[in-house]
Amino acid sequence: MAATGVTSREQIAFRRGNLDGRPLSPKEREQMLKPFLPPEPESTKGSPKAQKQKQQKRSSRLIKHTLHVLIHAVISFIFSVFFRFRRSWRHVKSKVSSYIWHHHRTPEFIQRDVKHLNKLPHHLSVVLDYHEGDDDQGDAGLEGLVKNLREVAAWTASAGIPFLSVYERTGKLKNYIQQTHSAISGELEAFFGPRRKPTLSVRAPHIRSYSPPLTPPSRATSPDPTETKDERQHLTVLLLSAEDGRDTMVDLTKTLSDMAQSGTLRPDQIDTNLIDAELREAVSTDPELLILFSPVVQLKGYPPWQLRLTEIFHVPDNKGVNYQVFLRALCNFAKAEMRVGR
Amino acid sequence: MTDSLHNSRIRKWFASSPPVAWGIRQLRELLIGALKQGPIPQHVAFVMDGNRRFARNHHIETVEGHSLGFEALARILEVCYKTGVKVVTIYAFSIENFKRSKREVDALMHMAKVKLEQLSEHGALLDRYGASIRVLGNRDLVKPDVLQAIDKAVSLTAHNKRAILNVCFPYTSRDEIASAVRHTVESYSVPLSSMQSPSKRSFSETHITQHIRQQMLNTVPEDVEPTSRSTSPAESKDLNSANDANSTATSSTAATSVEKDGSITSGRNFLDPETITAETLNDNMLTAGAPPLDLLVRTSGVMRLSDFMLWQAHEKTSIVFLDCMWPEFDLWHFLPVLVEWQWQRKKLQEEDRSWNKTD
Repeated sequence: MAATGVTSREQIAFRRGNLDGRPLSPKEREQMLKPFLPPEPESTKGSPKAQKQKQQKRSSRLIKHTLHVLIHAVISFIFSVFFRFRRSWRHVKSKVSSYIWHHHRTPEFIQRDVKHLNKLPHHLSVVLDYHEGDDDQGDAGLEGLVKNLREVAAWTASAGIPFLSVYERTGKLKNYIQQTHSAISGELEAFFGPRRKPTLSVRAPHIRSYSPPLTPPSRATSPDPTETKDERQHLTVLLLSAEDGRDTMVDLTKTLSDMAQSGTLRPDQIDTNLIDAELREAVSTDPELLILFSPVVQLKGYPPWQLRLTEIFHVPDNKGVNYQVFLRALCNFAKAEMRVGR
Repeated sequence: MTDSLHNSRIRKWFASSPPVAWGIRQLRELLIGALKQGPIPQHVAFVMDGNRRFARNHHIETVEGHSLGFEALARILEVCYKTGVKVVTIYAFSIENFKRSKREVDALMHMAKVKLEQLSEHGALLDRYGASIRVLGNRDLVKPDVLQAIDKAVSLTAHNKRAILNVCFPYTSRDEIASAVRHTVESYSVPLSSMQSPSKRSFSETHITQHIRQQMLNTVPEDVEPTSRSTSPAESKDLNSANDANSTATSSTAATSVEKDGSITSGRNFLDPETITAETLNDNMLTAGAPPLDLLVRTSGVMRLSDFMLWQAHEKTSIVFLDCMWPEFDLWHFLPVLVEWQWQRKKLQEEDRSWNKTD
C-alpha cells in the first residue's frame, strides 16, 4: 500500500466516501478522480490552433513511446536473465534434493517419507506428457510415457494411495491397456516383490476395466497367514485423455438433447447434480490432488468438471517426472486446509 | 487500523505525501506504458482470495478486509485497462459463499450495491475507460435491490466496446456449465419452424411443404389450412404412438404435455443434436464472445480453482498462484506475472516458428 501513488486525503475519500466529515457529491468525486483518468478519446475535427497543439502532443507522445519501448526492453532483459538464473538454480536444487530424497525403488523408503503426513488423497491425478521428439532423452515416445506412468504408479502404491488417474492429452495409452497393465504390474513387482505386490486394475472411460483374473485367487488361497491378515493393497489406474473433457461434455449434451427432443426429459431437469452423477459414472470422480510435472500450470484439456476443488500442484521450472515433485505434492496436500466456500 | 497495517507510520506518511505520491504515480504510468510494448493477455481472470485472512492477520474486521480488497481491485483494473487487456473477469462472490455468516454476506451485498450505485453516477467517466460491466452468475440468488443496481450499471455501460469487466457474482463454474448445457438442450428441443421468424422471408416453409405433399400424395385433403403447422390427424396419431413406444412410463406424461402444445410436429423439425460441438457450449457459457482466457491469477497461495472458470481455464490458460493476499495485490505483484507471461509467450512463438521451419 506504500506505493500506490495515492495521497492520504484521496485514500480516506475513497474508503469512507466522505471528506472532511461530509459526504462527497458525485461532482466532487469526479473532480478528485481527474488526475487518474486516461486521456479523453480523440476528436477528429479541430482549428489550426488545435492542430498545432496536436502536433506538439504528437511529438511528446513520440518521446513517451520511445521511452516506453526502451524501458520495456530493459525490463524484458533483466527479467529474462533473472528467469534463466532462477531456472538453473531450481534445477540445481532439485538435483540436490533428488540425492537426499531417493526412494531406492523400495516401498519402505516411500512409506517412511509419507508416514508423518496426516492425510493422503484417496484419488490422486497426474498429468503426463507424450513427447514426440528425441530431444527428451528417455522420456520420448510411447516407451518414455509408459516408463513415467510405471514409476508414478509404483510411488502411488507405495504411498498407500488406492486410486490414480493419469491424464495424457493424446490418449495413446488407451489403445494399449493390456500392455500398460503388465508394465505397471512388473514395476510393482520390482518395488514390492512378488508376494507383497499390490493387485492392480487398469481402466479407461468407456473401456472395460482390465484386471487379470489371476490376482484375486492367489490372495484368497495364500497359505501364509500374515498375508491374509492384512489384505493386499489394490491400485486402480484410470487413463484419461482430452476426449474425456470437453468432448464428453458435448456427448452428454447431445444425449440430453436427444432425450429432450423425444420428450423423455425436460430441459429444466438438467442441473449440476445430474451432470455430476453422469460424469462421475462415465469419466471419473473428482481428484483431490493433481500433480503437474510441467514447468508451468497449464491444464492442456484436463476434464474441467472434475477440477472443482482439486489441489493443483506443480513445481515451477520443473522438467520431467521425478519423485521430489511427487513427494512435495503430497506434503503440500497434507498441510493445505480445505475450505468449501467458508 | 492503519497502525496495524504498517509498522512504520513515517514511511506511510512519506509515501502518501503529495510530491512522492505524484512521483510514484508517474512511475506507475511509465511502467504500464512500457508493459504495453509487449504482448498483452486479452483476457485475464482474478480470484480475489485472501481478504478475510488478511483481515485476520492484521486484526481488522472482516468487512474492512473486503473493502480493502475492493481497493486492490480498483488498482488492478486500472493497470489492466491501461495496458490494454480487453476482458477482465473477477470472482467476486461464489454461490458457496452464501454459507458464510449472514452478517458478512449482507455486508458484501451492501458493498456491491453501493459501489455499483456510485459507479452509475459517473456514466461519462466510465465512457472514458470504454469499459462495459457484465455480471455473470445466477441471478435468482440475488436480492431485488442489488439486482436493480446491477441492471442499472450494466445498462449504463452496455454501449462501451473497448473493454469488458466480467463480475462473477453468485457464480460457480459448475452452475455455469450446467446452465450452458441446459440452454443448449433447450434450443435444440425447440422445433425449427417456430425458431425462424416467418416475417424475414417471403416464402413460407409450411406452404412449400404443403405444395410438395400435394404433388406427392394425392390423398392429402385439399382443404388443410395453409397457415397451421400441425400435421394431419392421422400423422399426429402415429407420432403419438411412436412417442409412447419410445418413452418410459414415468416420462410419458411429459411427452404428451409437449404434444398438446403442438410444438412437436415431427422429428425432422429439430436441429440435429450431432451438430452440437464444444463451440456450441462455449457460446452458451456466460463468457460467450470473450477472447479465450490467457491468464488466471489466484492470490493467497491457495492452489485450487475453487469452481471458477473450469471450462474456460482448462486448456491453454496460464494459471498463476501467488502467495500475497488480495488486498496487498498491486502493480508490483502483477508486473512480474505479466512479464513472465510475455516471456513465455515469446518462447512459445519461437518454438512454433522453429516447428514450422522444420516441417
